[in-house]
Amino acid sequence: MTAQEVRLCGLLLQEHFGDVVEKVGTHLICSGVLTLRALAHETKLPLDLVKKSLCVLMQHGMCAFGAGRRGPAGPVEYHIICEHILHMLRYPRYIYTAKSLYGDTGELIVEEILQSGQMTMSSTVKTVADRLTHNMPEGQSMDYSEVVSAFSRLVETHFLQRCPPMASAGSSSSGAVNTPLPAVTQPTKPEDHPECYRLPYINLTGQGKRRRSSEDGEAEQRAAKKAKTDNSERGDEGIYWQVNFQRFHLHFRDQAIISAVSCKLDQASSEIVRTMLRMSEVTTPAHAAFTQALSANEIFRAFPSSYNIARPILDQYLTLLVDDPMEFVGRTGDSGGGMYVVNLHRALANLARATLESVVQERFGSRSARIFRLLLRKRHLEQKQVEDFAMVPAKEAKYMLYTLLSENLVQLQEIPKTPDYAPSRTFYLYTVNQLPTARLLLQHCYKTVGNLIERRLYETKENKRLLEKSQRIEAILASLQATGAEAAQLTEVEEMITAPERQQLETLRHHINKLDSSENQVDETIFLLESYINSTQAPP
Amino acid sequence: MTEVKVKKESTDPVDIENRIKELCLQFPHGITDQVIQNDMPHVEVQQRAMAINRLLSVGQLDLLKNSNGLLYRLKDAQSASKVKGSDNQEKLVYQIIEDAGNKGIWTRDIRYKSNLPLTEINKILKNLESKKLIKAVKSVAASKKKVYMLYNLQPDRSVTGGAWYSDQDFESEFVEVLNQQCFKFLQSKAEAARDSKQSPMVQRNSSLATSHEVWKYICELGISKVDLSMEDIETILNTLIFDGKVEMTIIAAKEGTVGSVDGQMKLYRGVNPIIQPTGLVKTPCGLCPVTF
Repeated sequence: MTAQEVRLCGLLLQEHFGDVVEKVGTHLICSGVLTLRALAHETKLPLDLVKKSLCVLMQHGMCAFGAGRRGPAGPVEYHIICEHILHMLRYPRYIYTAKSLYGDTGELIVEEILQSGQMTMSSTVKTVADRLTHNMPEGQSMDYSEVVSAFSRLVETHFLQRCPPMASAGSSSSGAVNTPLPAVTQPTKPEDHPECYRLPYINLTGQGKRRRSSEDGEAEQRAAKKAKTDNSERGDEGIYWQVNFQRFHLHFRDQAIISAVSCKLDQASSEIVRTMLRMSEVTTPAHAAFTQALSANEIFRAFPSSYNIARPILDQYLTLLVDDPMEFVGRTGDSGGGMYVVNLHRALANLARATLESVVQERFGSRSARIFRLLLRKRHLEQKQVEDFAMVPAKEAKYMLYTLLSENLVQLQEIPKTPDYAPSRTFYLYTVNQLPTARLLLQHCYKTVGNLIERRLYETKENKRLLEKSQRIEAILASLQATGAEAAQLTEVEEMITAPERQQLETLRHHINKLDSSENQVDETIFLLESYINSTQAPP
Repeated sequence: MTEVKVKKESTDPVDIENRIKELCLQFPHGITDQVIQNDMPHVEVQQRAMAINRLLSVGQLDLLKNSNGLLYRLKDAQSASKVKGSDNQEKLVYQIIEDAGNKGIWTRDIRYKSNLPLTEINKILKNLESKKLIKAVKSVAASKKKVYMLYNLQPDRSVTGGAWYSDQDFESEFVEVLNQQCFKFLQSKAEAARDSKQSPMVQRNSSLATSHEVWKYICELGISKVDLSMEDIETILNTLIFDGKVEMTIIAAKEGTVGSVDGQMKLYRGVNPIIQPTGLVKTPCGLCPVTF
C-alpha cells in the first residue's frame, strides 16, 4: 500500500462512513493485520465503536477476518482489502452501466446494494419497488415481478452474486459443512461457492407502496419493523447478494476495447468486436489473455440483424482486423471459416500505452510526445540518434529529454566501454519501460483524486454557512408550499437569499460539479492502468 | 682498323629524367624502380636516384608506396603547377587534406599525420587558405569543430547535415511544413477512401500511399528549394509515425516497379488515435481561472 493509496482510502472512508470508520480503517491499512484488542488499543477508541466500524467495513466487503497467527484457538485477526475501498470511486460508473443495460430498475437495484453492501433479494426488491412507485405519477405503482425479473437478469449475466457463506461454528441454513475458519491469507472467493449465481425461490408478490409525506416518520419506522419480521417469511434469509465488481470491470474493459476499435478502424469493425466479446462474456475466465476461439460462422450467425453485412464482407473485415498493427483480433485456426480470438492482454497493453503517450503529449507538448513514442518503439537510443529520428533540433531535443528524465518517464541506461565508468567512454542510452511508467502514472492518478476530493471538501467547508442558509430556506419553502401558503409569502422567503449570495451558490455548485466530474474522469484512467498492470501479473 | 668507338649513351641527368617521365606516361599507374632499371640498364644507381630526387623536389613526380615497394607516378601537370612555390611542409599538409576527400580533416588529425607542431600547421593552413587552395567547413555535429578540405570539393552530407541543414542551422520550420503537408496528403487520401463506401478491403488499399507517391506529391508542390530524395521523405514520414498519426506497412514488390527498393515497398496511411485524451489530463489545475 503506497502512501497515496492510503491517503485516498482515508478520504473515501471519511466521506462515506465518517471519522470513526476512517480512523479505524486507515490504521488497519497501515498495520496490516491486527486483532480487535490491539486495534482498539492503538486507535484509542472505545471497544464498541471499533466493533461497529469493523462491522460496517465487513458489511461492504472491505474488511475480512480469519484465524490469527496463533491458529484457530487464538484471537481473530482482521485485515483490510484496499481494492474494495478504491472501488468506491467507481460506484457512479457501476450505477450508470446498470442503468444503460437494464434501465431504471437495474440502476436502483445496483444503487441499493452498493449502498448497503449486502442485501437479501426480497428486501432489495421491496425497497426498489417503493422508490420507483414514489417517482411514478399518482395511481400507478411498480409491480414486484418487474423488479424481480430485472434482478434475475442481473444475476444471470453475473453482475450480482451471492456473498460467500461464512463458515461458522454453528449449523447454517444452507447446510454448509462445519469447516474451520479459513486462514487470513486465503479468503474464499465467491466463485468457489457452486451456487453463486442461483436465484433463491422466494414468495414475493405485491406492489410498491407509495409513501405519503404526512406519514413520513411513522411509515419509515413501521417499514423498518416490517422488514425485520418480513424477512423470515420470504424464504431467503441468510442469502445475501453483493455486486460482482469483477464482472463490471470486464464490462468496462470490453467497452474500452470496442471504442478503441471504432476510433481506429470504423463502426462495422467495432460491431464485430462487440459481437465477439458478447459471445465470450461468460465463457472466458477473468484473467485470460485471449477470449475463446470463435469461428467466423458463429460470428456471422450471432451478428445483430440490424447491420446486414454479407458473409464475404464480414470475412474481409475480420482479415483487416487481424492485419491491423494494433492486433486487437488474432486468427488461431482455419476450421469453421477461420477461428478468431480477441487479444485481451495485448489490447490492454495498447490502451495503456496510448494513455501514457496522451499524458506526455498533454503535459509536455507534441515534440516530447514524439520523442517518447520514438523511445517506446525503438527501445534504446543514444542522444544523437534521438535527434536524428525525431527531426528535432539538438538543443531542444536535449532539453526535452532531460525534462522527461527528471519526471522519471524516461530512464537512462549506461553501457561502459571500460571497466571504470568513465563518462567519456560510456554509452548513455535512453529508454522507456512501459510497466514501471504505468505504475508511476497510477500513483499520480491516486494523488490527483485525493487532491480533488480535498479541494471539494475545502470548498464545501469554506461556504458552509452559505450552504446551510440555502438549505434552511429550501426547507422553509417546502413546508410553506405543502401547507398551501400564498405567493407573497413564498417570494418573501426566497428573497432572504440575496442576489450575490445566489450567484456565489451557483459558482460553488459549478465548482463542485466540475471537481466531481474530473474525479470520474481520472477514475477512467485509473481503471485502464490498473487493468493493464493486473494483466501483466501472473494469475493468482 | 679504325677503333670502333662505342658511343656512350649520354648519361645526361636531364635525359634520364625525361626518360623516366616518358616511362611514367607509358604506365599511368606508376612505375617501380625495377622498371626504370630495366629500361636504362646502364644508368648507375646513384644517377638514377639523383634523377628521381630531382623530379620529386621539382614536383613532377609522385612517390607512392604499395605492398611491393615504391612507385613513382607522374604528377598531374595542373596540380603540379598549383603547389609550385610552396615549400615541402605545405605540400605535405596539402597532400594530407587532399587525401581526406570530401569528408574533410580536422587540425588534430593533420598534426598526427604530418608530425608537425601545431603552430606550424596553423601557419601553413592560413597560407593555403589565402591561396584559395583549401577551405574550412563547419561541422554540424560539433559547431566549434572545423574540418578542412580542398577548395572546389562539395562537403559530404555527414558534415553539413544534408537537406535539413542550411548553414549549420537545423531548419525546423521547413521540417514542420513538410511534416504537415505529408500528413494532409495521407489524411485526404484516407478520407477519400472512407467516403467511397466500397468494400472494406478496397477502402483500406486505396487509403495506402507508397513513399514514392508521397515523394512525387511533395516535389510537385514545390515548397522545397532543395532537392529532396525519397530517403528524405521517408525520414519525414517516420517522424509522422512517431507522432502517432501514420502507420506503415512493408510489402514485397516486384523489382522494377516504380519506387521499390530492394524488392520492398513502404506503404503509409493516416490513422486516428485509439483513445481520446485521457482523464488524468482533463483535471483542472485549481489555480487557473479558466476552469472556474
